[in-house]
Formats: sequence, structure tokens, C-alpha cells
Amino acid sequence: MTVHAFHIFDRKGKTLFTKRYSSAVKNQPVQDVELLSEQRKLIFGMLFSLRELVGSLTPEGESPALQSVKTGAGTLHCYETISGLRIALYTNNNPNMGSTARNLDTSKTSFQNALKHIYSELWVDCVVRSPLYRPGDIQVDGHGNDVGRFDIRSTNFEKKLDAYLASMPWFR
Amino acid sequence: MGFLHLFIVNKSGGLILHRPLGQSAPRIGTNEWLRIGSTFHSLHAIAAEASPVKLPGNKNSAGADDGIEEIRGGGLILKCLQTRTGVKFVITAEPGTSDLDAVLREIYVLYSDCALV
Repeated sequence: MTVHAFHIFDRKGKTLFTKRYSSAVKNQPVQDVELLSEQRKLIFGMLFSLRELVGSLTPEGESPALQSVKTGAGTLHCYETISGLRIALYTNNNPNMGSTARNLDTSKTSFQNALKHIYSELWVDCVVRSPLYRPGDIQVDGHGNDVGRFDIRSTNFEKKLDAYLASMPWFR
Repeated sequence: MGFLHLFIVNKSGGLILHRPLGQSAPRIGTNEWLRIGSTFHSLHAIAAEASPVKLPGNKNSAGADDGIEEIRGGGLILKCLQTRTGVKFVITAEPGTSDLDAVLREIYVLYSDCALV
């Protein structure tokens, strides 16, 4: 199982953090920043609409949370917090995990647990609790010369995220 | 472990069929169904577009356009079979229901045998 990309969006759709992993980049032509930004907006819009769709189709009494979306090219795992923060993780479709329904269920829940851990232990600890953090001020697509904007690179969120994902059995 | 709904969308996004398959299926009005059908049709294509990795020619292994094959939510599994002609067979079920892919293929066979003259 390989991880292709990782995104964090806020409630309004702004990208708070994004990272592509090398396995995806090798096979795809170089894409410029505009295109990637458009792609992220597509992802957010899709997650938003899918949440509504799943909500209307889910029977009563069950929680309408979106967990994963699978296409032929890969799987998108998502986790949404109560505050509306959305974490999205793109992986490929691992052939080994399709054997029994039980295996599939536990692997899906392990993604949910992983994303939950990334939010509560890594994001909240490194970013939200950083003394420089101001909500609404994170700039991802910025041109690097905005003084006074909070920069994710001032925290060690990315290092911790990479270490955590690398420790997962499904990361390569 | 039960089925919830079945719906079939044609290649332009219009709804061909919708029907509940079990008692726990939520009641959804016709207008809402039409909306669900066309929303799903668009999201199916957007999912392939938004993915960081794309299949060659955007066609999946069955020769049909790539798109959403499965959605998992808390309390719901949704599976979609897209044919080469663009018709989408979508089934929703409670988590733990097995063989949804085989069921969808069987429904496709029945549809082409009975519904197409």
C-alpha cells in the first residue's frame, strides 16, 4: 500500500496543509501550482458533496460520516472533526486487502484511527498549540513573502507526520 | 446485514430506476432521488479527476471510464458498477454485506436481458 498525497482542509475549504509523496510524482508529469490548487478545490468540493449524499442515503440511527472513497486509481480516506476540519489521505488500492470482509473492515478502521491520531496527537499538539498559531492565518499557496503569517514550517508537524506515516504497516 | 437501495443512472446522469431493497432503507422522495442520481453521476467523474494518480486513458480494468467504485461511511457501503456504455448501477447496503460486486454484475446482466429490448 502506498501513500500518494495528504491534505488538510478547514471548514471553508481552504487548504491548511498539503503534501505529495514521491510514488505519485514519479509517474505523473510535473504539475504547476495553479493546477494543484484547482485539484485541491475539486477534492474539497467532492468531499463536501459526498458527505451530503451519504447522509441522505444512510439509514436512521447510523452516523453519516464519510470514511473512504475508492476509484480504480486509488482510495481516498477522509476524517472530519466536529469543528469541520477535514483530513484527506490518498493511497493506492492494495490487492491483498480485498480477501475477506473482516480484514477489509479492520483495515478501514485502522485508517480512521490513524487519521484521528494525526489530528489529535500531531495537528493539535504541533500546530494549534504552537504559540505562533492564529486560526485563519495559515497560508499554503502564498508566495512566501507575507510577513506575520503563520507558516507550518515553523512547527515540526511535517516531520512528525512523515515519521508517523512511515511507521504505519501500510506505508511504503 | 442487508441491502438498502438500488439505483441506476444513464450515461447523461438521468435516473433510470430507484428502488428500496430492505426495511431499513430510508424513505427518499422521487425529487430527492433525481437529485441523488445526478449528483452521483457528476461526483463519479470528479473523483477520478481529483485523484493525484490517474489510470492510463482514464479507463479502468473493465474498459469503462474510471470513477467511484465504492464509498464507505459509518453505517453505509455504496458500490457502483460503471459499464462501458456509461450506465451506472449503484447499490447501497449496511456494512458487512458481502458479494456486492457479484450482485451488481448480476443486476447488470438482468438489466441487459430484460430491460433492453
